Amino acid sequence: MKMTGIIFSEMYTDALNSLTQDRNMGAIPFGGRYRLVDFALSNMVNSGILNVGVLVKQHYHSLMDHLSNSQEWDLNRKNGGLQLLPPFTTENAHTGDSRGKLDELRNALDYLETISTTPYVLMADAYVLCNIDYRAALEEHIASGCDITMFATKVTESSQQEYASVMGADSNHKMTSYALSYTAKPGEYASMGHMIISREFLINVIKDYTARGIYDFLRDFVQHEFNRGRLSVNIYEVDSTVLRIRNMNDYFQSSLAILNDDVAADLFRGDRPIHTRVTDEVPAYYGLECQATRSIIADGCIVDGCVESSVVSRGVKIAKGAKLKNCVIMGGSEVGEGACLENVIVDKRVTISAGAQLKGLASNPVVIRKGVTV
Amino acid sequence: MFQRKKECIAMLLAGGQGSRLYVLTKDTAKPAVPFGGKYRIIDFPLSNCINSGIDTVGVLTQYQPLELNDYIGNGQPWDLNRNWGGAHVLPPYTGTKSDSWYKGTANAIYQNIAFVDRYNPEYVAVLGGDHIYKMDYNKMLRYHKEKGAECTIAVMPVSMEEATRMGIMSADENGAITDFEEKPKQPKSNLASMGIYIFTWATLREYLIADEDDPNSENDFGKNIIPNFLKDGRPMYAYSFEGYWKDVGTLNSLWDANMDLLDPSDPINMRDPSFRIYARNYSAPATRLGSGAKVTNSFVAEGCTIRGNVEHSVLYTGCQIEEGAVVTGAVVMPNAVVRKGANLSYCIVGEQCVIEEGAKIGERPENYLDADWGIAVVGHQRTITAGSVVKPKEII
Repeated sequence: MKMTGIIFSEMYTDALNSLTQDRNMGAIPFGGRYRLVDFALSNMVNSGILNVGVLVKQHYHSLMDHLSNSQEWDLNRKNGGLQLLPPFTTENAHTGDSRGKLDELRNALDYLETISTTPYVLMADAYVLCNIDYRAALEEHIASGCDITMFATKVTESSQQEYASVMGADSNHKMTSYALSYTAKPGEYASMGHMIISREFLINVIKDYTARGIYDFLRDFVQHEFNRGRLSVNIYEVDSTVLRIRNMNDYFQSSLAILNDDVAADLFRGDRPIHTRVTDEVPAYYGLECQATRSIIADGCIVDGCVESSVVSRGVKIAKGAKLKNCVIMGGSEVGEGACLENVIVDKRVTISAGAQLKGLASNPVVIRKGVTV
Repeated sequence: MFQRKKECIAMLLAGGQGSRLYVLTKDTAKPAVPFGGKYRIIDFPLSNCINSGIDTVGVLTQYQPLELNDYIGNGQPWDLNRNWGGAHVLPPYTGTKSDSWYKGTANAIYQNIAFVDRYNPEYVAVLGGDHIYKMDYNKMLRYHKEKGAECTIAVMPVSMEEATRMGIMSADENGAITDFEEKPKQPKSNLASMGIYIFTWATLREYLIADEDDPNSENDFGKNIIPNFLKDGRPMYAYSFEGYWKDVGTLNSLWDANMDLLDPSDPINMRDPSFRIYARNYSAPATRLGSGAKVTNSFVAEGCTIRGNVEHSVLYTGCQIEEGAVVTGAVVMPNAVVRKGANLSYCIVGEQCVIEEGAKIGERPENYLDADWGIAVVGHQRTITAGSVVKPKEII
């Protein structure tokens, strides 16, 4: 494989602050048994990528724990494999918040220089969930002759939805316009935080820009160079499901979106499985009075109550008479007898006492932090 | 020179055909038969080993070993991937002096004396691969040492009727075994051998070599080695085990043991986090329930899609139950598909079966005489055509 993967695990960590107190973005639980990082990582592995660097900056203990020796992704390789790329601390290093992608990529410089057998780099943001084969994208990138290939979805309806970048393109998928943090008109392309670039080009850009104290990859490099006609960009159109998680509402909507069969069919394909860490839980037990419909329920759960349109992670106990509707319940939490929850996100190892009533809005869910008792 | 040494290693006899499981063991060895949603029978002894601090396990395979070899792999799911020790699959092999299949259980260990010697162990646990149970072998080893035994046999009280089908021990008040009979017509005791032995290796090694030289021997632990120990007055003790222990060597007992998982008192103690049963996991998403799903009193593994009605059943990894299908008292093995309107009751459906629309497998016992009723069984990878019927007791 001629491509190395780089995953950014920190994007939007702040926007999901109730869920990211003890973890970074990439380690947020999703879909009953996954963490957000599993999607980009599994796509890479399923596409034959054998070298993957994961950029981390803050509270990445949970992510390290999850990735462990990367055996579940088959990345415990002698040659290549998975490498965590934490900040490289030197005398004059910047240790505060990330100042931009180029700032983070600087920590990957050594790594990028050692993997000299792979001429291309795929950069992927952990906040984007999709199931795609990157090999086809690489072929298109090489054939296009462009400097960069940006992955994007075609926007079909106008909405107020704002995207990190919005692109116009000609019939050959060559980018013709570029806007940052903007709404998209039908026919335009919305970025999805995935890019292919040549390794040597990327190394030069990182060195050149960071030396001048410039850190924003999209604004200061892509937009700046494109507007001056010095950068050609190919757009790789993805027409399967892409979920973007940039804030709590996105997280909630995306979590419930996988209850739709067509979304699930796109994301969880038998031929390209999403891999995750194994926890050796027992299968789930559904009790005599259990009523569970249109939900996802992971192993290790004991379900005696009523669960509707919810995502329930591993090892959750739902007592008799409890009612859940439109909820996301993370691993090891317990919902007591007769508790009633609607539009609630419950982080890991939370105890919801018997009879508790919690109701959020579909557009603004209640979020219960990790480990608390309600 | 100092030779590295393990205190105790395990030899797991996994070569059995399991002929009384008929269609379920046509292409696979009995220990590889799926159990309890996500497990295989062999996960129990393997997990017991690692939970007992035994990190070296020789798995003796013979009958249809492909699936089992694949499943055990490097032993990683059980934490048995070790630089020194770990899980080793030991099939019969050819050599300059002998080239033979494993003639019996004792011969299987005999042929692997070199493997055992490599670890220079003080003790060797010899385990069967046919039972569902959780047991700390380390407690048994402690007992073995305390008693100064050269052989310790785990025993369990059984009914006198069952005793006629098992190896039965008589022991004195100190636990010393005074008599042993294989399948006695008139049992003298109700202590049945569980097929779990701990031997002092030096002694066992001697007896294995002598047994091999005996042309009349069947090279079997129960028939030859144990009687020889007894005859020579070797210190041999019975270790009483209390807890769940179930033979899953017949289709009925396999079904029963699966149903035990639905018992709210959790007799197998599956959920004890300090003594987990490990299994090789596949990357399946969490189970999905459709809008019309109804699932009660059931044990469901990962990767299932349920849109029908499931009660009192065990669904293994990756099953699909379509709309309007009714599944009651069924054991549905990995990746089986139950199409719309099909009806499963009191049955075992093998791996990757497809039960087409409206097919009917098995029936409830109420309308049958005891002698006419039994669970229905569909072997692995079978397709049951739309509307067809598999009657109770039928095995296809």
